[in-house]
Amino acid sequence: MPQSLTVRVRRPDGRPIRIWVPVLPVVLVFLPVVVLAVLVGAVACLVYHVSVVRALATGWRLVAALPGTRFDLEQGRTAVLVSIR
Amino acid sequence: MNEQRKDILDMLAEGKISAEEAEQLIAALERDQPTAAPGPDARPKGKAKYLRVVVDAIEDDEPTRVNVRVPLQLLRAGVRLAALIPPQALGKANAELMKSGVPLDLTQLKPEQLEALVEHLDEMTVEVDQPDARVRVFCE
Repeated sequence: MPQSLTVRVRRPDGRPIRIWVPVLPVVLVFLPVVVLAVLVGAVACLVYHVSVVRALATGWRLVAALPGTRFDLEQGRTAVLVSIR
Repeated sequence: MNEQRKDILDMLAEGKISAEEAEQLIAALERDQPTAAPGPDARPKGKAKYLRVVVDAIEDDEPTRVNVRVPLQLLRAGVRLAALIPPQALGKANAELMKSGVPLDLTQLKPEQLEALVEHLDEMTVEVDQPDARVRVFCE
């Protein structure tokens, strides 16, 4: 499971912005929303005749596979980096 | 640009180090890492873990670089997610594809075939060279 999300932005004037998001505490804070989203997803699975267990397992696998993802964009003096660890 | 070099430039931008110190640090970094950024040819043999997409281009007279790293595990999970798409949605997608002139029957695509495709991605390298842009897709 991802542990942290790092966003780094270098603005054209060279000043950097760094945002480090610890995933677990944020998920805990938003737990009610997460539970609600899972319930809505489960209902959608039932409506479209998709196995809820399979969907949950696949969703979890997707989230668990996120660490290591990295997106890096540089244009001139501007740069954006998004990294999931 | 690698992570350490970026950190040095950030420290310089924040005024934590002088330009001379930054130059010394970058020179030291280059001594420690004499080889260039790993490309498809430099990849050591073994099981690939990431799919990399690197785009170098010139846009508005400024060099632009896009560097994306996606774990292959994420692609595998995505393939499994695609297997959950209900048949009626696949039928609609097929109809739209047909309308766009792509006669592809998505219902015939089996998850095992897609997984085999991802499995063999590490043998794939795509390089597109144009005067003002270069795109590389490879696994590492």
